[in-house]
Amino acid sequence: MALSVEHFGRTYAAATGTLTAVEDLSFSVASGEIVGLIGPNGAGKTTTLRSLAGILRPTSGRVSIDGHDIIEDPLEAKRRLAFMPDEPHLFEYLTVTEHLRLVARLYGVADVDSRAAALVDELELKGKEGSLPGELSRGMRQKVVIACGLVRRATTLLFDEPLTGLDPIGIRRMRNTIVARAHAGAAILLSSHLLHLVEEVCSRVIIMDRGRKVADGTFEELASRADLATAGSSLEQIFLRVTGHDAVR
Amino acid sequence: MLSASLYIIVCSARNRMRVRLRRLREPRYLIGAIVGAAYIYFSFFARFRASGRSRRRLQASDWPESMAPLVALLPALGGVALLAGAAAAWLLPVDSGLLEFSDAELQFLFPAPVSRRQLLIHRMLRSQLGILFGALIIAVVSPPALGVSRLQLSVGAWMLMVTAKFYFTGVTLARARLRAGSDRVRRVAWLPVAVIFAAVAVVGSAIARDALRSTPQGPRDIALAIGRAAQSGPARVVLWPSAALVQPLFAAWPEPYFASLASALAVLAAVVGWVLLSDEAFQEAVVTVAERRSQEPSPQGGISYTVRSVGWTLAAVGRPETAFAWKAAQQTLRMVDRRSLARTVILLILLTMAAASMGRANGLASLLGAFSFAGTVFTIVLAPQILRIDLRQDLSHLELLKTWPIKASAVVRGELLWPGVVITATAWTMLAVATFLSATLLPRVSVGWRIGGGAALAIVAPSLVFSQLTIHNAVALMFPAWVPLGNQRPRGLDAMGQRLIMLGGTWLLLVISMLPGAIVGGIVWFAFKGFVGAAALVPAALVCSMIVGVEVLLATEAIGPAYERLDILAVERGE
Repeated sequence: MALSVEHFGRTYAAATGTLTAVEDLSFSVASGEIVGLIGPNGAGKTTTLRSLAGILRPTSGRVSIDGHDIIEDPLEAKRRLAFMPDEPHLFEYLTVTEHLRLVARLYGVADVDSRAAALVDELELKGKEGSLPGELSRGMRQKVVIACGLVRRATTLLFDEPLTGLDPIGIRRMRNTIVARAHAGAAILLSSHLLHLVEEVCSRVIIMDRGRKVADGTFEELASRADLATAGSSLEQIFLRVTGHDAVR
Repeated sequence: MLSASLYIIVCSARNRMRVRLRRLREPRYLIGAIVGAAYIYFSFFARFRASGRSRRRLQASDWPESMAPLVALLPALGGVALLAGAAAAWLLPVDSGLLEFSDAELQFLFPAPVSRRQLLIHRMLRSQLGILFGALIIAVVSPPALGVSRLQLSVGAWMLMVTAKFYFTGVTLARARLRAGSDRVRRVAWLPVAVIFAAVAVVGSAIARDALRSTPQGPRDIALAIGRAAQSGPARVVLWPSAALVQPLFAAWPEPYFASLASALAVLAAVVGWVLLSDEAFQEAVVTVAERRSQEPSPQGGISYTVRSVGWTLAAVGRPETAFAWKAAQQTLRMVDRRSLARTVILLILLTMAAASMGRANGLASLLGAFSFAGTVFTIVLAPQILRIDLRQDLSHLELLKTWPIKASAVVRGELLWPGVVITATAWTMLAVATFLSATLLPRVSVGWRIGGGAALAIVAPSLVFSQLTIHNAVALMFPAWVPLGNQRPRGLDAMGQRLIMLGGTWLLLVISMLPGAIVGGIVWFAFKGFVGAAALVPAALVCSMIVGVEVLLATEAIGPAYERLDILAVERGE
């Protein structure tokens, strides 16, 4: 498995004591697979993605990328990983091209020029190569973050709300980009509140609620689950049922 | 709207206080608050209590006889300074910050059925807490002098600061009106500009006439000439508003003080009236301020970058440390902070003038030599604390850094590299000038000692710089919540205490880290000085520098795990 998560948990120290953000989460993503990670606000999705990316340390459990543990062997694990966060964190003094060069240097991408040129085309960043992040719109900055993630040959891609700030054309192109990367053999974990996107591109979905996994499977598997059989066939109906919000109309 | 304004002010102040009090439950903030309170007590109150026992304030007659005429002219001199500041406000791109509405204010108040004038009044009221606090601090830190009590001083300072703030707002609004389409509006907007610069011309010509008559010798004579000119003829009349604002800081109690307060209030009322009458330009001025703010892409604000080629393209393959240095170099060379530059130039000029007037310098060469030497020491000792283009700034990008497959020690070394090189290069440049001019500065010291000392300091400089940077970055990794990120300026007693603890700890660590190198270097010095004299300083410095250099390398390896363990949640954002 490209991405393997076993009994992962993460707690935070809060004013009222210890807050459990994620508890006993296990799943895996195979090469070429696109798995959707969905859940209501505060379900623990971003905590999970940040822990998988090595930003937060898991309090318990094990996370491995291509067999490399993110804690025991972080350099090898991170080398195979690309994390595209929902908030575009960029260096305000580096241009688009310079961001790509910096990332390429840190990940050892020798053919950065050709790869960067292709990505600039693919993500419609043409003409913005020499711009600073402060001169770009929110959507453009999101594209730069994604370009930085794709400029190296990562085997596992983590997307956290990748479509935030994109226009309809950008959304369509980004969807195609994600699918193309999966076809090329990457394992993709995609977190989004846009259930139609998840339904469209993901082959499997994991639903989280209050830090726990409440459902995991293909749409057919979920729809045929005994407790969800009456929920309906759409992902939205299934989501509302498993999170206990199906009374909401 | 007034009640809504007061509600916002009271709730904001109350909630900010609550947050600060609540965080005292955490030991680091509690310790910081205790240290901060102790510092304030021992620095100010204990000193005042001790001086208060004498039960006598300084009077004008207590000043040295030579200073007495100058002291008597202080209100007039203050008036001239204020007038100069008022005129400069039209020439420099400064504003009061009063029109910088927060995002929440823009979102909630602008669409609300509230007039522009009411919005201006809201901002005026909102600014009062900060101004009052500033006035209080001025009163607390100022020693009682000239018979003015701290309460008088506090009220006077508040009056002065609030008038200045509103005046700067008026200037911003008038600038917007100068761009208006209507000729009438533009003509009205030019009126205050004409008045201010006419006043400057009147005062300036009076000063020039006095200076030509008396040919002043030095800053004291110049100050006396300015004061005299400001108190006579038409200059006295046109300076009345600015002198009236300064007068409460010096007026005697009670009748003269209340009379001066009434005059200052009249000036304040006039400025407030002018600002409120300019409200038609409000919308445009707010947009201009907002645009300027939006051009400052730094999340902490204040810094803007301009893309320009720096002649260094990052190679696709190589050591990661170089990539960090390249990144920091781009940042440094693209930083355009004209305000800081102007401030630095003014500071340098003032320092030079002070040095010249104190008679310590003998000619331009020795003045420059002394200045370069002081600059060298300042750069080596303080620049590593001030220049924060390292982890102290990049912790705000920790979410990105943490995903990179780079060894923690390489990240630390890479972050230190560029600031270390910049500071060392600056120190070397100034040291070269100081050594070159050392003959005029230290005429009794032999050339061997001067060159040997300069070379030794040049050799030790990088190790001193890098060891300080290592300590600052190690502290940032181990106590991230105590280190202000980027341009953050944490406020509160606890934050001040934390800064004091950090400063003390850093200096202690620096002394400890330099100790082994200094001891071995000292041994080398004693062993060779009998044979080669001053030249023994060079091998002593080399040995010292090498030992400290090895310590720095070991330290970067040792603090690597702290970077790996560092939780992004421990890196707190600004208040």
